[in-house]
Amino acid sequence: MKGHAMTLRLLIALTLGSVAFGAHANGSIDAGKQKSQTCQACHGADGNGIGITMYPILAGQHADYLRKALGDYKSGARVNPIMAGFAGALSEQDIADLAAYFSSQQGPLVELNADPAK
Amino acid sequence: MKRLNALALASLALVTLPFAAAHAQGDPALGRQLAYTCTGCHGIAGYKNAYPQYHVPRIAGQNYDYLLAALIAYQKGERTHPTMQAQAASFSETDLQNLAAFIASAGKVTP
Repeated sequence: MKGHAMTLRLLIALTLGSVAFGAHANGSIDAGKQKSQTCQACHGADGNGIGITMYPILAGQHADYLRKALGDYKSGARVNPIMAGFAGALSEQDIADLAAYFSSQQGPLVELNADPAK
Repeated sequence: MKRLNALALASLALVTLPFAAAHAQGDPALGRQLAYTCTGCHGIAGYKNAYPQYHVPRIAGQNYDYLLAALIAYQKGERTHPTMQAQAASFSETDLQNLAAFIASAGKVTP
């Protein structure tokens, strides 16, 4: 059946896609620290900033969100002249490493709780 | 010496005054009343965005100015995310300032 062949092809493509994605899923905290010199000028050595509050805190942020943000700056999906310049020069592995490093640092970021103050 | 201190204070005030005016701080208490919807995604540990899949960002404790800039960018469509654009569009600028003030104030206390 043609339909089955299509389904099979789709499944194979999906599997290959996930494997390819998985290859870049693991960043190295140590490598990320080495590569983070440029980031530190605005985001601070540990991702807690340098007191300029227009720049986000990165410490303790989810690694996959940081990867998404850097990927979007790189592709131009997220427009920011400063970040476009830096992210454009990063490889997939660089992005995974940087995300691993900053997400591993301690900071104030946490899930939002809007319950009335106790 | 005292005169120098006074001068330093006066010049500091002059420097900070226009900055404060340009980035009006919101009211965290008012922002809290608007933030219930945000917690549907940003309040659930491990909650993931779908297509593409990634954790929604931790936002409590983030810097006020960054949060406000992000919300305004979503509102204007400069930053694209269907849910966030729809949410931001439903608020006034004052609402966004109040939301950003509350979210920034809701971080964990670090040692």
